[in-house]
Amino acid sequence: MTIQWAVMLILGFATFLAWVRLSLWHSRGRRTGQASPVRLALLMLLQPLVSALLYYALFPPMVGGGPTDLRIATAGTSRLAAAVDGAPLILLPEAPAIGGGEATPDLATALRRHPGVRTITVLGKGLGPRDIDAARQVAVEFDSPPLRPGILNLTPPPTAPAGGRFVVGGTLAGLSEATVELIDPAGRVTDSGSADRDGHFLLAGTARAAGAVNFTLRARKDKRLIEQADVPVWVTDSTRPRLLILAGAPGPEAKYLRRWASDAGFDVTTQMSAGGGIALGDAPVALDAAGLRRFDVAIVDDRAWAGLRGPLIAAVRGGLGLVLRAGGAIDGVTRSQWQALGFGLSGPGGVAPLALPNASDEAVARTRHGIGSDEAPVDMALPEDFAPDVGRLGLTPGGGEAVPMLQDAGGATLGAWRAIGIGRVALFTGIDSYVLTLTGRRDLYGDWWNGLLTAVARPAPSSHMIPGILWAGERMALCDIGSDGQVENTDSAQTRLAPVAGCGAFWPARAGWHQLRVKDALRPFYVQSHDALPTMRAARDRQAMAMRSTTTPGAPAVAVTTGGSGSAWPFWVAWLVASALLWWLERSRVGRRVTLSSGQAEPALATASAAP
Amino acid sequence: MTGLLAHWIAPARRRALADTLAMAMPLLIAGGVVGWRGGGPVIALLIVAIGSAMAILIARRRAARFDRAWLVRSLDNSRPELEDSSALLFAEDAPLAPLQALQHTRIAARIDQGAPDDLRPGWSRRTLLAVSIMAATLIIAALLCPRPGEGPPMLAPAQEGLPARPGIPRLVAQNLRIIPPSYTGLSVRDSASLDARAPRGARLEWTLRFDPQPSNAVLAMLAGQPLSLRRDGETWIASRTLDASFLYRVDPATARGPTPPLHRIDAIADAPPQVKALSPTASLSMVTAGQRSWTPVFAATDDYGVAATARLRVTLAIGEGENVTFSEREIALTGSGPARDRRFAPRLDFSSFGFVAGGDMVVQLIVRDNRSPTPQEVRGPSMILRWPSTKEPESGGMEGMVNTTLPAYFRSQRQIIIDAEALIKQKRGMALDRYVTRSASIGGDQQILRGRYSQFLGGEEEGEPALPTADGHQEGDGHDHGGPPKQPSTGFGAPEDVLGDFGHPHDDSPASSLDPETRAILKQAVDEMWQSERELKQGRPDLALPFAYKALRFIKEVQQATRIFLSRVGPELPPIDATRRMTGKREGLASRTLALAPVEGRDGPAAAAWRALGEGPDAIRGPIALDALEDWTRTNAGRLPDALALLGAIDSVRSDPACMACRARLRAQLWTAMERPLARPARRRPADAGGARYLGAIGGTP
Repeated sequence: MTIQWAVMLILGFATFLAWVRLSLWHSRGRRTGQASPVRLALLMLLQPLVSALLYYALFPPMVGGGPTDLRIATAGTSRLAAAVDGAPLILLPEAPAIGGGEATPDLATALRRHPGVRTITVLGKGLGPRDIDAARQVAVEFDSPPLRPGILNLTPPPTAPAGGRFVVGGTLAGLSEATVELIDPAGRVTDSGSADRDGHFLLAGTARAAGAVNFTLRARKDKRLIEQADVPVWVTDSTRPRLLILAGAPGPEAKYLRRWASDAGFDVTTQMSAGGGIALGDAPVALDAAGLRRFDVAIVDDRAWAGLRGPLIAAVRGGLGLVLRAGGAIDGVTRSQWQALGFGLSGPGGVAPLALPNASDEAVARTRHGIGSDEAPVDMALPEDFAPDVGRLGLTPGGGEAVPMLQDAGGATLGAWRAIGIGRVALFTGIDSYVLTLTGRRDLYGDWWNGLLTAVARPAPSSHMIPGILWAGERMALCDIGSDGQVENTDSAQTRLAPVAGCGAFWPARAGWHQLRVKDALRPFYVQSHDALPTMRAARDRQAMAMRSTTTPGAPAVAVTTGGSGSAWPFWVAWLVASALLWWLERSRVGRRVTLSSGQAEPALATASAAP
Repeated sequence: MTGLLAHWIAPARRRALADTLAMAMPLLIAGGVVGWRGGGPVIALLIVAIGSAMAILIARRRAARFDRAWLVRSLDNSRPELEDSSALLFAEDAPLAPLQALQHTRIAARIDQGAPDDLRPGWSRRTLLAVSIMAATLIIAALLCPRPGEGPPMLAPAQEGLPARPGIPRLVAQNLRIIPPSYTGLSVRDSASLDARAPRGARLEWTLRFDPQPSNAVLAMLAGQPLSLRRDGETWIASRTLDASFLYRVDPATARGPTPPLHRIDAIADAPPQVKALSPTASLSMVTAGQRSWTPVFAATDDYGVAATARLRVTLAIGEGENVTFSEREIALTGSGPARDRRFAPRLDFSSFGFVAGGDMVVQLIVRDNRSPTPQEVRGPSMILRWPSTKEPESGGMEGMVNTTLPAYFRSQRQIIIDAEALIKQKRGMALDRYVTRSASIGGDQQILRGRYSQFLGGEEEGEPALPTADGHQEGDGHDHGGPPKQPSTGFGAPEDVLGDFGHPHDDSPASSLDPETRAILKQAVDEMWQSERELKQGRPDLALPFAYKALRFIKEVQQATRIFLSRVGPELPPIDATRRMTGKREGLASRTLALAPVEGRDGPAAAAWRALGEGPDAIRGPIALDALEDWTRTNAGRLPDALALLGAIDSVRSDPACMACRARLRAQLWTAMERPLARPARRRPADAGGARYLGAIGGTP
């Protein structure tokens, strides 16, 4: 119940009391013969009038003559806007000092001050997130200015494994034939490329040890720097995956897989059948449902697959990741079995040559390798080096259910995966990929196999960065924060979040890495500085504006009933006059038959009239 | 008439020429001196040459002004007796009117009263004097002006960026003189900055001035002993030889004042020379018809200079078959071209080397650079010139398939004949039993040789070989497994039986790939060897000789092919007999565990410091303990791309922990100093209840 309603009720009750008193008084006066119907009628009419006037003095009604259109000046508004006649001009804080117009802290305030407004015309670059919700009440007219050429979109990787390769995606706007460069934390160009016709680009970098690291993205056109932006990368040490390598026969591929995986810190179990019940590798494990449940991911060749099909598929349904590889050209039975898994294997079969991507030139390659050690010296293949002979199955995994994930330089799909139950199974068609490790392409070998295992490995809790680009000084929502979520700021200060339905709002004040700490879990996020990525921000606001402009408001601005710009003093004067008339009428002898004073009743009446 | 004109003009022209050249001379000398001081003798010569050319040009133009008009004008002005008619004398073959002719004769008689020398212009003495003074000034200035690296250095203002504090000495002026080793040919230079890059072995001389004068000043090395400065008047000096890159700081206040910034001296190592063959570009080339000599061209480059003389190692492989002889010799060469890029093009005359058909000539250039005291020696690529045998041209594409094992057999047969003939010659002075024993031992050699030939032919002479199979073969299963290890033959180009060293042929014998004719001839040779062996063993070498000669002749016949080629076919294995699989002996076969020790990453301190300097969860905003990182950097300096820069960055963070730029610089350096561990998969997050239900509902086809 609002205050207006309370006042209205009280006034109505007082009027009713006054009427009751008047009627009682009148009936007593009739007994004494002093009653006058005319006087009674006048008094009874004046009572609600006084009440109503008092009410309006307290809450003056809306003035119907306010403007219905407003012009809202936002950032980048032309200076001429003040000079042009038209609807009243509202200056939001972002607007430049253009003189004239009414400055308001935000759009909602402006709409409260001008309650009759139904349409606003937004000038300049558009409303920000602060004002977008307020604009919901009114119709919005907005001619978006063309976007400044720059980085329209930037997608940093949600997480990168320590030492792993990661890919940064993005889009350029208004920059044809621009080049983009990814700069590593040491200031060296680690990847460069040009955007495609739609402006999309993908750049790759390599991570080192776990931690938070900033790469830099630069967009250049004709050697001129157009824009540069921080690319935050959250590098994590994931848990040791338990890997099972099954091979139908000992061979170099299994040997080098085992070496790579154990060096990378997997828990590796290798089983290579040497025929006649003899197995080489690690201590034998039971390859039944219980035994396979102990593993996160398995790499199985076509010969081992033949004997273990049932248990493996059952284990995949339970979450195991399975990578199938071929030791050479596969027979028809295996082919049909793999097709039945959902990999539509098309192609002539046999073994086809694999087109290896060219090695990057030395300066770039050096930024992608870490320092060498005695056991693993830096071994880089350069573009002029001998390209190893790696083959692939002459079959291309495809089909609607399989997700292609690895391609060779010729565009042939080398790897694809699909989900079965809550697990995943991948097919790798490369043959003798181990030669990459012998010819200076260890990084490519690692990228391939790590990519395959990442795609299918059994899910496990891991640390991810909170996605999205955030700007300093803008409100952000953090969800899933429990009851005691805290944000650790760049300067180590803690901010406790107040959860509402599991989410909390946070206003980052400074750019940099922040961490959301919920119990023991840590989720980092990176806040870009306020003036970073201006094109991306403008595009976001523009899109939000575009969605507002198309929706018509449900209700006019009179939802705002408090305050108001109508003045109260005419009502106070009218109330005073009416009250004086009432008082005079009560006191006067007009209409009285017998002149008799009734001193007790009159003050009571006055009191009742003025009760509110 | 022109003769008269020339006679009258010549003295003036000569004087003008001489005058101009006299004026140019001091200027030329001055220009030469300035050029020599500034840029060396080449520049000086260039300036003098260009200047002389210009001077001559100007002189000629000045002399050309003294022409007919000038002569007439000056004669008329200076000699009234010519009655303003001298033009008549020097008129060009214009037909004279009678009056003109009369006047001409009169004037011609008078003209000789004066001499042409009277018309010469005077020496322009004042200009000459001015020019000489100017040139002298220039020369003196050029000689007095110190060249960089000569005389006392000019000190540049210091850029240490330290606040002045009363009573604490600080660096105000500095100079670093770099004297490169003389062999580099680089000139001495003065560096205004205390950071420098200099060739290894250069001498560094610091000249520093402090304010106020310190009592003691050192160059504090970041690692190693400090270098103390010696006071020399107002300045302090120190010097050392650059043997490795180092970081240092100038410390005049003995750690009382603020820490001065670090400076870095980089030592540039002398690179060894590079040798490249310009022609021929392929390492193997063939002699063309009619070729009498060979001129391979090598280019040798070096950063400071290649020694003018180099050596060329020439290896000759002459002969064919069993008679291949190797000779090696080195010849001295003199290169042409600039020191940094020399060309060596020796002309190798075939006749002087004795290079004939059927031989190979291998040349290799050995160059040195001019580093002192120890020049660096580099061997270039080997270039082979092959002179194919005239008897039978080599078939294309057969290189690398040449089986060079046969000549060893042939040589032995000839040796048996030589031995037997020698024994027959010695027969007279020898006891009979000793003669028979010697003969029998030669017979033993013959037997071994015959056995090897039989073996080569598949041992048919000693019984049928068993059928070879691909699996389950063991010792004594019918074919040879390489035989007794052969004596490694010595010398260059010894036959290399790679197949014999590292495996054994799965074939009934090497000879099975011979053509049937060769095979038949070899069989006949073996038959003759049988006869020869029998006679030798019975102590009758004279009777054995004919058979031995026959055997040799047959072998010689085979030798006509020069080399024997094996057919280029892969191993054609017999089909697998599935019924016999896994039926062999299985003792000692069991499952085995193959041990594997993973490689551990080793950049612990670097990664820890990297995280501490950042903004992530492990960041440390305050001072960071950097001792472990510094120790690690020193230990692993060889692995790091730029350990010195990392040490410098560590030092700057340690001295000023609050400096954010220093921290950022150290972090950037650390990025280059970390290993890239092999990546483990980033795990995808488990599906929540709804997701698991969804996956269960859709996924289940196979």
